Amino acid sequence: MSETVVLDVEVKSPIERVWHALTDSATLSKWMLFKSNDFRPVVGHTFQFREAPGWTGVVECEVIEVDQPHRLTYTWVSGGESNLRQSTVVTWTLTEADGGATRLHLEQSGFRPEAKQEIGGASYGWKSMLDQLQSLLASA
Amino acid sequence: MGDVYSAVADPTRRQLLRLLADADELPLHEMTARFPVGRTAVSKHLAVLKEAGLVSDRKAGRETRYHLNAAPLREIQEWVSFYERFWTERIDRLKDLLEEENG
Repeated sequence: MSETVVLDVEVKSPIERVWHALTDSATLSKWMLFKSNDFRPVVGHTFQFREAPGWTGVVECEVIEVDQPHRLTYTWVSGGESNLRQSTVVTWTLTEADGGATRLHLEQSGFRPEAKQEIGGASYGWKSMLDQLQSLLASA
Repeated sequence: MGDVYSAVADPTRRQLLRLLADADELPLHEMTARFPVGRTAVSKHLAVLKEAGLVSDRKAGRETRYHLNAAPLREIQEWVSFYERFWTERIDRLKDLLEEENG
């Protein structure tokens, strides 16, 4: 059995704008903790998230599913080859809500159950990133 | 809902949480007896904890009984986990650096 981090937020922006924020490399850098990435919304594309403040770690990813503007899935491998390696999958699901808002559902699955620190850290990390995403979309 | 971080920032409130963690449920007078501050002060601290969702209370006859709800503490645990990851790596780097200097 593996553990999953799940988060749900409602964003007061139309679905296409939220999709853009999740899939545009420059926009990702504005709200993700990681200051650089080479993401492209193309199935099979491999990319990295890097340069998180205070952390030299790199997250290795591969795009698995792109269903604009509803679903985006990529693998998320952190910890390199060390014993802290976590091989997980991140899935974003977007649903149109009333009043031009968007419901955003995030799942990161595949954590080893004993990796309490990684699970807690991912949970906090996504919460703070989603806060930044919400303020970014609210300001623009 | 009050902020869980400010709720636990005060030593008296942390001690109240500790007391409640060890007991299933405690009435106000029993907690007051353990603190040098008065009943009103303890009551105010409990109100802050309640506001943060960390304690709940119920009336039992003439007294109010309190018990711990630890769930909001998860937020702090997650926050610590997140930063622990960074610190673990920093400490490793410091160790490497010191070893290089020695070598």
